[in-house]
Amino acid sequence: MKKMPFAEFFRNNGPVMGSLLIGLVGFWLIFLILLPQLSMLDYSFRFNLPPAELGGPKDVYTLSNYEHLLYGSDETKQSFNTVDLKVFVRTIIAAIIVTIFNIVLCYPLAYFLGQAKGAGMARLLVVLLIIPYWINEILRAFALRIIFGETGLLNEALMFLHLASEPIDFIRQDVALYAGLGYAYILLMLFPMYNVIESLDRNQIEAARDMGASWLHIHRRIVIPHAKPGIASGSTMVFMLSAGALAAPQILGGPSSLWFTQLVYQWFNDSLNWQQGAAYAIVLLVSTIAIVLTFMKIFKVNMGDIGK
Amino acid sequence: MSSGVAVDLENITIRFGDFTAVKDANVNIKGGDFFSFLGPSGCGKTTILRAVSGFLEPSEGRVLIGGNDMAGIGPNKRPTALIFQNLALFPLMTVWENIAFSMEVAGASAKERRKRADELLDMIALPGQGDKLPSELSGGQKQRVAIARALCANPDVLLLDEPLSALDLKLRQHMRTELREIQKRVGITFIYITHDQGEALTMSDNVAVMKAGIIDQIASGHEIYDDPATPFVASFVGENNVFRGKIKSIDGGHAIISTNRSGDLVARITPAQVGNLAVGDEAMMFVRPEAFEVAPEQGSTGQNLVSAKAVNEEFEGNSFSVFLEGDGGKLIKMSVPNLGQDRISTQGHDLTLRYEPSNAVVMPAGELASE
Amino acid sequence: MSSANLIRIALGAYLLIFFSYLLGPLVVMSLTAFNSSGFPSVSPWACFTFEWFGVLFEDKHIRDGLFYSVVIGIGTVILSVSMGLAASIVLTQVWPRFRSTYYTMIIAPILIPGVVLGISTLVFWDRVGRFLGVEDGSFLYGLFHNGIFLTILGQSSFIASYAMLVFVARLQRFDPGLTEAALDLGATHTQAFRKILLPFMRPAIASASVLAFLASFENYNTTTFTIIDYKTLTTVLAQKVRLGINPSISSLAFIIITLTVFAALIFEAVQRNKARKDAVRRGKLKTGDKGILPSFLRGNPAAIMLVLLSFVVIAMVGTAQSYSPEQCKIRVKEERQIEIQKRIDALKKARAEQQATEAAEAEAEIPAKPAPATSGAFGNVFAPDNLTTEEEEVDVAPEAGSGAFGNVFAPGNLSDEGAEAEEPPKPEAGSGAFGNVFDPGNLSGGD
Repeated sequence: MKKMPFAEFFRNNGPVMGSLLIGLVGFWLIFLILLPQLSMLDYSFRFNLPPAELGGPKDVYTLSNYEHLLYGSDETKQSFNTVDLKVFVRTIIAAIIVTIFNIVLCYPLAYFLGQAKGAGMARLLVVLLIIPYWINEILRAFALRIIFGETGLLNEALMFLHLASEPIDFIRQDVALYAGLGYAYILLMLFPMYNVIESLDRNQIEAARDMGASWLHIHRRIVIPHAKPGIASGSTMVFMLSAGALAAPQILGGPSSLWFTQLVYQWFNDSLNWQQGAAYAIVLLVSTIAIVLTFMKIFKVNMGDIGK
Repeated sequence: MSSGVAVDLENITIRFGDFTAVKDANVNIKGGDFFSFLGPSGCGKTTILRAVSGFLEPSEGRVLIGGNDMAGIGPNKRPTALIFQNLALFPLMTVWENIAFSMEVAGASAKERRKRADELLDMIALPGQGDKLPSELSGGQKQRVAIARALCANPDVLLLDEPLSALDLKLRQHMRTELREIQKRVGITFIYITHDQGEALTMSDNVAVMKAGIIDQIASGHEIYDDPATPFVASFVGENNVFRGKIKSIDGGHAIISTNRSGDLVARITPAQVGNLAVGDEAMMFVRPEAFEVAPEQGSTGQNLVSAKAVNEEFEGNSFSVFLEGDGGKLIKMSVPNLGQDRISTQGHDLTLRYEPSNAVVMPAGELASE
Repeated sequence: MSSANLIRIALGAYLLIFFSYLLGPLVVMSLTAFNSSGFPSVSPWACFTFEWFGVLFEDKHIRDGLFYSVVIGIGTVILSVSMGLAASIVLTQVWPRFRSTYYTMIIAPILIPGVVLGISTLVFWDRVGRFLGVEDGSFLYGLFHNGIFLTILGQSSFIASYAMLVFVARLQRFDPGLTEAALDLGATHTQAFRKILLPFMRPAIASASVLAFLASFENYNTTTFTIIDYKTLTTVLAQKVRLGINPSISSLAFIIITLTVFAALIFEAVQRNKARKDAVRRGKLKTGDKGILPSFLRGNPAAIMLVLLSFVVIAMVGTAQSYSPEQCKIRVKEERQIEIQKRIDALKKARAEQQATEAAEAEAEIPAKPAPATSGAFGNVFAPDNLTTEEEEVDVAPEAGSGAFGNVFAPGNLSDEGAEAEEPPKPEAGSGAFGNVFDPGNLSGGD
C-alpha cells in the first residue's frame, strides 16, 4: 500500500495545523521566491515595449538584453561593451578581495572570543560587537564618509601628522568603498566563525600542544579544519552581500567608478528599462551563485553548513 | 475507575520502507491485565506500543481496543494514555498543570482541574508539590507525576514505554512494586514495554517475548522461565546452559539427546514443542545454572550426569557461581545457593554434576539471544 | 617569557585596531551631531550645539519615513516570523531524502542579492496584476502597485530565512515527545501547538521578531526597488546622504546608537539578573536582604552602566533646553573673518611671488589645468550649493568649503610643479586650510 506523500504529514500535524504550515511555506517559496525569480528571468528575455504593444507582434523573446551587456549598443557586435563589463569584473573581484580581507581580519578575533568561552571580557566584547550591527547600513556608510571624506577626520589627521601634504582622495581611490564594504558585513563573517570555534573542544588544542605541535601547525591542522563550515558560511554571506551591495557603493563609491548593482539600479530607476535591468540582475545572480558553488566545491563544504 | 478493557492485535505488520519492524503479530490482552512486551532493543516492541497508542498505523492488520477497531482514530481520540520513556513532562508547566493537562484540553475549569490534580498528587504520595516545576523534582517523583498525568485522562489502557530505565537500581525496584500496586488499585489494563526481564517477570500477568519483529512466546512469567518455547526465549530470559546435539530417542514427554561433547542426556519436551521433534533432528537442550548440583556419587555416568572441571568461582552474595569446563572445553555454569555454612571450594576439582530431567528442556535447534 | 608578552601586546594592538575600525566611525559620527559646522565633521570644531536635533525633528521626510518604516517593519515581522516558524517546523518533519534540498531552498533567499529580490518582487506582482486583468484604479491594482505591500513581501522573502535559522536552533532542543504526550492526553493538534510548542518557542519568537524588525528597518537594497511612491527612513536617509548632507543625519545616528546601547545594556542586565536569581534559587548564592543597592543592581555591571547612562541622557536633554551656542557662533564668525582676511593676504602675497617666479622662469602652460579637474571631482560631493542653501550655514559653510579647497587652489600647490623655490607660501596655505583646528579661540568657544 503506497501512501500519499502528504498523508503522513497531515497525520502528524492534523488538518488545521498541517494546512497552515504547508500554506505558509508554500506561499513563501512559490509566491515570494520561485515565481518572482522566474518572472524576472522571463522579463530579461523581452523587449522594453510601451504598454500598448504588450502581447502584440513585437512582444517576442530576445537575447538583446544580454547582448547589450556584452556588446553595448553596437549592433554589429564588433566591439565589446567595455564599460559595463569592466564594472562587472571589478565588482566580482572586489567582492572576493573584501571577503578575503574579512576572513583575515576576523579569524584571530573569532579564535580569541571562541576560546575565551564567554568569560567576562569576551562577553563584553560580544555585546560591543552587536551594537554596530544594529545601526542602519546607510548610517554606517555615512559614518565612513565622514571619516574618509576630503575634509574628513582621516585626512585631517594625516595632514596634522605631516604624513600627507594635501588631502588624499579616498573616495576616488575606492579606499572608502572597500573599507565600507568590509565594514558593512564584517560581523556576518565573525559570528559564524566564532560559533564553530566555540564548539571546538579546548582539549584538542592542548593535546596537540602536548604532542609538540607548533602554534602554526595547531591552527592549520586542528582549528581551521574545525572552523571550515563557519568560514565557508561567513565567506558566502560576505561575498554575496558585497557583490550585491547597493548602499555602500552609492554613498562611498567614487563618481567615476560604478558597482554592478548601480547599473541595475540605473536601468530600473533612471532609464525605466526593467527588461534590461532584469537581465543584468540575472547575470549578477547567476554569476555570484556559480562562484559560490565553485568555491564550495573546491573547499569541500556543503550547503547545509551555511547559516550555522 | 473503569474496569479493564481488552486489547487485541490481529495480524499486525508494520513496515518502514523496506524494513519490517513488526511481522504478523497476534496478541490478545485481557482486560485488567498487566501485560509486558519483553525483548532486546530494536526488536519492535516500541513500534507495537506506538501502533496501539495511535502514533502510527500498522501497514497490515487491526488494533482493537475493547473490541473497537482503532483504524483511522488518532492518538488524541483513543482511550489510551502513554507514559514515555523520558516521561515527556511539560517543562514550562507546573506539576499540577501537567497532571491536569488532559482536563485542560477538554475545557475543564481551573478549579476542577486543581481539585483533581490534588487528589492524584495525594494518590502518588506527593501532596502539596503541585506548584513546583518538573525540573525541581527528583527522578522518582517525576516518574510518579507522569503516572498521575496519564491516569488523570481516565484511560482504559495505560501504555508504559520503559519508564523505569532512567532510574537507579534501588528506585527501580521500589517503583516496580508501586506500579503493580497502582495497577491493582485502578484496575485498568497496563501494557508495559521493557528489555529488562526482571521487570517483566516480577510485575506482569503475561509476557510476550519478541525477537526482531516476531513474537516468540506469550505466556505467564513462570511459564516463560520454566517452559521456554524457543531457544531464543530460553537463552534471553534468565541464564541457561545450552547443549547442542541430535535427538536419539523420544519417550513420552522426554527425549534423549546425544550431545556433541557431553554424551547422551535426557530432557523434558516443553508443551509448545510436543510433536515438533523427531529422532535425528538437530536439537538444543537447556539446563539452568541453579538446576545443577554436585552429584552424590562422584565419577559415575548417566543420562542426567555431566562431568566437568571447576575452573573458577564467583561470590554473588546469595549464591556462588561456579564456572566449569566440560569435555571438549564445553563451558558450564552452576549456581550454588549460599547457605551460610562453611563450604569447601570446588575450584580445580573434577566434578560430576547432576540435574533433575524435569528441569532440563529440549527443543529444535534455533537462534539464541546474542549477549 | 618575552614571546608570551609579545603575543599579548600583538593581541592587544589587534583588538584595538579591530574595535576602532568597528566602533570608531560610529563615535566620530555621533560627535559630528554636536558640531555647529554645516558639514558633518569633528574638525574643524566650531561650536557645541544641539541645533541639529531640532533640524532633524522638523524634517517631515524623516518623520514620514520613520512612520512607514515602522508600518512595514510590523508587517514584515508578522509575515516573516510566521513563514520562518512554519518552515522550521516542516524542516523537522520533512523526510530525510528531501531534507537537504528543502534546506537549500529555504536558506537560499539569504544569499540572493537584495537588489534581485526587490526587482523580482516588483516585476512579479506587476505581472500578477496584468494577468488578472485588474484595472488601473481598482483595489487589486492599487495593492499590487502599493509600495508598502510590495516592500513587506520583498523583505519577508529573505527575512523569513533569518527567522527560520533562529527557530531551527531552538527546535533542535525541543523534544517531539512533548507534542506526542499532549496528543496522547487528548489535545487536538492545534491545542498541542498552542499549549506546548508555542510556549517553548516564545523566546525564539521574541528574538526572531526583534531581528526581523531590525532587518526590515535597515533594509535598503530591496526596499529601494519595491517602495515606489513611499519612503522609508532608510531610503530617505540614502537620498539625503547621496544628495547633500548635514549633521542632522548624525544626530539621528546618535539617537539610534544611544537606543541600541540602551537595548544592549537592558538585555545584558536582564540576563545577568536572571542568572543571579537562578543561582539564588539553587542556593548557590545567599539572598542577602541588606545592602545599599537594590538587588537588581548587585553584581550586575550592565545594570549599573544602564543607570549611569540614563543620567547622562537626562542631563543632556536638560542642557539642550537651556544651552545656546549663539555667542560662540558669533565669535567663530568673527574669527573666521579674521582668518579669511589673513588667507586673502597670504594668497595675494603668494600670487605676487608666483607671478614674480613665473615671470622669471617664463613658464606659462601649467596654472589653470589641474584645478578645474579637481574641483569637478568634488563638485557633486561637496557642491557649494548644497552647503549654502540652508540658512543657518551661510556664515559657516563657505568657510569650511573654502578651507577645504584652499590648498587645492592655493598657488603654492600648483607651483610645486613649477619650482622648488616656492617653499614659504606652502605652510601658509596649509595653515589656512586647517588653521581653525588648532585655533585656541575655537577650542575655548567649544566649551
